[in-house]
Order: sequence, then structure tokens, then C-alpha cells
Amino acid sequence: MDVYPVFPESLAAIAAGIGKAEEFFEEAKRRGFSPSICSYTRCGLGISWCQKSAFGPIPEPDIFITDVSVCCLHVTWWAYLEDHFQKPTYYMDMPATDDPWDADYIAYYEDQIRGMVKFVEENTSAKFELDRLKQAVHYSDQAGLYWRKILELRKRRPSPVSFRSLAGEILPLVTALGDKDCAEFYQALYEIYRDQARQGSCPAKGGERYRLIWNGIPIWHHLHVITYFEEKGANFVWEPYTALSWGNKTPSGRLDPEEPFRSLALKYTNVLTNMPLEKRFRYFDEAIKEYRVDGLVMFSNRSCRPQSIGQDEVVELVREAHDLPVLIFEGDQADPEGFNMAEAKNRIDGFIEILEARKQ
Amino acid sequence: MVIEEFRHAFERRHDLCISMKREGKGIIGCFYGAVPKEVIHAAGLIPIQLLEDRTERFEEHSGLLPFLCGMSKNVTGQIYLGKYSYLDGIVVGTVCDTNRHVFDIWVYRKVAPFLRLLRTPAKAGKEALEFYAKDLRKLASELGRISGVEANGERLRQSVELFNENRALIEEFQGKRESLGINAQEGIFVVASSLILPVEKHSQLMKALLSEMRPTQPSEEDKPRVYISALNFNMALDLVSLVETYGGKVAGFDLHQSARYASEPIPLDDEDPFLCVAKGYIRRVPIPGVYDFEKRAEALKTEMERTKARGIIFLSQLYCDAYAMEHAILMEKMSRSGIPYLKLEAEDSPGSLEQLNVRVQSFIESLS
Repeated sequence: MDVYPVFPESLAAIAAGIGKAEEFFEEAKRRGFSPSICSYTRCGLGISWCQKSAFGPIPEPDIFITDVSVCCLHVTWWAYLEDHFQKPTYYMDMPATDDPWDADYIAYYEDQIRGMVKFVEENTSAKFELDRLKQAVHYSDQAGLYWRKILELRKRRPSPVSFRSLAGEILPLVTALGDKDCAEFYQALYEIYRDQARQGSCPAKGGERYRLIWNGIPIWHHLHVITYFEEKGANFVWEPYTALSWGNKTPSGRLDPEEPFRSLALKYTNVLTNMPLEKRFRYFDEAIKEYRVDGLVMFSNRSCRPQSIGQDEVVELVREAHDLPVLIFEGDQADPEGFNMAEAKNRIDGFIEILEARKQ
Repeated sequence: MVIEEFRHAFERRHDLCISMKREGKGIIGCFYGAVPKEVIHAAGLIPIQLLEDRTERFEEHSGLLPFLCGMSKNVTGQIYLGKYSYLDGIVVGTVCDTNRHVFDIWVYRKVAPFLRLLRTPAKAGKEALEFYAKDLRKLASELGRISGVEANGERLRQSVELFNENRALIEEFQGKRESLGINAQEGIFVVASSLILPVEKHSQLMKALLSEMRPTQPSEEDKPRVYISALNFNMALDLVSLVETYGGKVAGFDLHQSARYASEPIPLDDEDPFLCVAKGYIRRVPIPGVYDFEKRAEALKTEMERTKARGIIFLSQLYCDAYAMEHAILMEKMSRSGIPYLKLEAEDSPGSLEQLNVRVQSFIESLS
């Protein structure tokens, strides 16, 4: 509809990733927003108040649109934005559920998507064209398809893909779906990784000795934690963040441009943290077998309660089924306060020793 | 005296529930005020809210992450230690991510025979109301299988009327509390006990209280009057003590207008009572982010005006992100209106709030 989105949450992650989030956190602190609050929210609000990102000014928005699916704090954050900045706001309503595949639930969300279209038309000069949506869904599907192909390459031994690289390469999948450029980007990226796979290249130094799962959002402010694992011969081969949170999250793994609203509803209602813990474990169970995993790293993220609550129980299930070693990191996704890289390295070293001992 | 019965009921709530179970009554635990207790009542079951308990360090038995709010940890610890073993089930209505997702752990650990997450929309449009009404009908049917009682439309209407009556009695009480000579702490027990007593019993006590008490002579003292916005009952009681220690007076509190208690009456203005309940709850329980912030702020200002409070203290539990967010937003609004405020974050433990005594003292003095 030629309405260009700006994503404060993604800008918050990027700001944290390049070490330029401090001024936004300080602004939130100055305004009385407690550190108990998710760091994406605090940093994203900081970006909104300051009307700039880590790269410079951002344009004043005309409308606000948010989802209600992944966490309650999204709603509160955007309700605040609506109240503070007095802009028309649309909430993509997705009630709490532990059964996201329920037909009524998906139908309700499909209504929300149609409602969003009306909202945009009523609040901007944009006009909806079905053919353009079909085209956007086609390109989104293509992007998701190639993303999935990239993830499939990681089943190879060695996997050619670095989780650290993916953490950045995922950005268009989050912010630019529907564009032809985005689809072409992922096709090109897949071809690069496919060629690297054929050459046997791998980000793990000295060769891939250990294959790991990372659970949780990346630690944006210290992505070199991942690099440190790689320096020790460990390679992350699967993450719920890359495999289950973005792209074509539909039962078929594809989006159907001929049924765009339904496809998008099937995709966006499929939220991992809305599933019962046993169902979440099944994804880990399959991944451990298919990706031939040696160990798990669980990021206990104080900003993301939906992802962190239940992690211990999933670890319990993993240990019962697979007897794999698990390393748990505590910290925050975007706020570096309290994170100590030296301590993290010590813990990683200890974990590597365990992995090595199991290989002997 | 009737007033003492409210505290008594609150403090003996588990014993009372066990007695009711022995009488053959079914009891459903509600995890916060977003759960429509009317539907539970219509199914012939007694809704009681899961409440924080300070008689032991239940948090330590929860197995939950250290950075989660103490209330969820406390409730989970109580469940694991069998304090709620009398429950026939638990229904969760989402107020925050923690209360939503501890549900997943409770399901995994099978902590109750019936566990249900409500699919409460964040919007109140036609589709949302129909969606929610359908979920409530489904809930009623599920509860009916537990109780053997069909929660039909007529029964639901009657339940709504009973709870509306209770709401009106609490509202009347709050309006008259001080003039009846009832202090803030006793007032908190009146509200808190509404969450754990059968509605009929609580309303009966309320009526007895309102008819028994007589207006007292207004006090001449000119103590700085403070309004409290809090969610946790224990902490609210601690704060009342602290305010009074430093020469202030708690003019009012909003526990009855928070996410603990759905205080807005449900209009029975549709032939489908399930739709009435859906309308009565969606965006009408002050859940952070879902309830309009301006409306919430105005309600607090109205209360402050009514109770002649000079300032407001926002009290949230450590790691409670939902209320940390709401309070930051409300403080912004209070600041714009020139209303003095104080924000406190503490744990629910004796002495935790005491460590903030200097701040409370300074605030009280600033209102003098």
C-alpha cells in the first residue's frame, strides 16, 4: 500500500548491536521507566522520544500499527505511544492462547488483517490493491523459501552458516518482507551459502567440532559471544529464533499468494511461545536429531519473559530424551548492564570442556 | 464487630475453602481479575482469586526465574506446596506475560485437574466481543462438566446481578469508609476478602457493615493525605503503616479498581448474557496497556479529589514489568497535572518496603 514501516523494536536491536543504545536507555531512565521493563521497550521508546535511531533522525510517523501476539508489553508500549504521541493506532489483536491452530483463532486474526487494511485506508491516502498484496505475498513466500533452504544447509556437517551472520541477515525477513529485493537477497544469500557448503567451509575455527542449539534472542550487545564459541570449534546449527520465529511459519512452509489474507493469518498466528511446553520441546527434539546436535545453550533473557519462562522445563525434557549438556546464560537482549564478557568466556570454556569430554 | 470478619476471612482463606470443599462445593482459582468470575459462579462453582501469601517464603519453592515478579513466584510456590490443593481448577486471564506463561508451567506440571487460559481480546469491537463470548460459552460448558451444573443464560444473568451488587456495595463502602471511621488497613481487608469469599457471603458482610457502622465525627487532624495505587495486598498494608508512621494518612487506595478486581458493573443490556460479560470485561478491567491510560489517570485523579489526597504513591512489586510500565505512564500524567507523586518498587517481604522509609518520609513531609 506504499506505506513505509519503521520498526522501533528492530532499531532497538540494531542500536544495541552496534553499541549505540545508551542514550535511548538513559532517556527511558530519565523518564522513570524501570529496568524491569523489557529493554526493547525502553530503547524503542527512547528512539521514539528522541525521534532518531542509531543512524540519525527518523521521520515522524503518521500511524502506528502493532501486533498483540508475542507479548503483553507490546500492547502497553504501543498504547503508550498512542497516548503520548496522539497518532491513530491499530492493534493486530491476537488474544493469549495455548492453541494457535484453532480455526476460530486464525479466522479472528484474518479479520484483524482486513481491519488493518481499512485502518490504513482511513488514515492515509493509501489504497489497497489485491493484486499488489498477492505480489507482496509471493515475494514474501520466496524470501521465506530461501531462508528455509539456508537453514536446511545447516544440517550438513560442517554447517557453512554462522549464527552470528544470520542474526544480521535475518533483518530483511523482519522488516522488508514483500519486496522483490528482499526475495532476491535471500536467493543470492542461499546461493552463497550453498557454494560454501560444497566447499566444506564453516565458521568454526579449526573445523566444526561441536554442533549446538542456541535458544533465545541473540545477545545483541555482545554478539561476539557467538564468535567466541566459533573460536572454540563450536557452531550453532539451529535456533528457534531463526527457524521458528520468522519466514514462512505456516503448516505447509509456504505462503499462498492466491489466498493472501488466510496465508498471512496462518503465518502470524503460529507463535512458538503460544504453544504448550511439550509442543515446543518437540521442535527441539526434531532439531536435535536432524541437525545432529551435541549441546544446548539457553539464553535466560530477563527482558523476554515469554521466551524465558518455561525454558527450564524444556531443558528438563531435552535432558530426559537426549542427555545433552546445557549451558544457561543469564542476561538481557539489548541492555548490556551487568553483562560481563570475561565471565561469559569462563562459562563457555567450561562448557566446551564438557563437550570435549563427551567426545572422548 | 463485622469489620473484623473481613480480615479474619482473608487470613483464614485456605481454611474457609477447605471447609467449603467438605460441604461439597467446587472451587476454581482465578489468576487475576480478568477472569470473569460470573461465569464460574453460574456453573455452580466458587471463584476465588489466587493471592500472595507471606506466611512462608513461597517464592523459594516456585522454581521460577529470579527476574520474574514475586507474585507469580509466590502463587506458584503455594501451589507446589499444596496450599491450593482444594482447587478443582485454575482459570488464567492474561494481565501480563508472567501470569500468562506461568500457566504453561502449571499445565506441564499438572498442578490442577482443570487448567484453562482465557482467550481475552485486547479490542472491544464486534468481532472481538463475539470471539470472546464464544470462548466464555466454551468455558461455561467445561466448568459445567466439573460441577454438573449447566451455566445457562439465566444462571449467568443471576450471577452477574450478584456480582454487580457486590461491586456497588464495595463502591459505596469506599465512598463512606473514612466517615464510618474505618481505617485504610481495615478497608484493604474489605476489598481483599471480596476475592476469596463466595460473593453471597461477602455481600452479606458488606450490608451488615454498612448498616452497623455509623458516621463518625471528622477528625481535626491536618495530616498529609496520600492516595495509594498498588496491586499487592501485603505491600499495600505495609505502605499504609509506613505512611502513618511518618505522620501521613492514607486517604484512599485503588486495589478495587486495579487488575485484581473487575469493579465496573456489567450492564445486562443484551439478550445474550455471555456477550454482556464479554462486554463487561474487555477493556474494562484496568489491565496495563489494555485499559485506556487517560481513563485510568482520570479515575485516580477523581479518587484523589474525592478523598482529598494531596499526593499519590505508586507501589509496584520488583520485576513487575506491567505495573512498572503503567506507573511510569501515570507519573507522566500526574506530573502534567501538577500532582505530587512518589514511585516505589519493592519486594513482598517484611522489611523490604521499610528500606524505602526515607523516601516515604520525605514525600509525606513535602505534602505538609
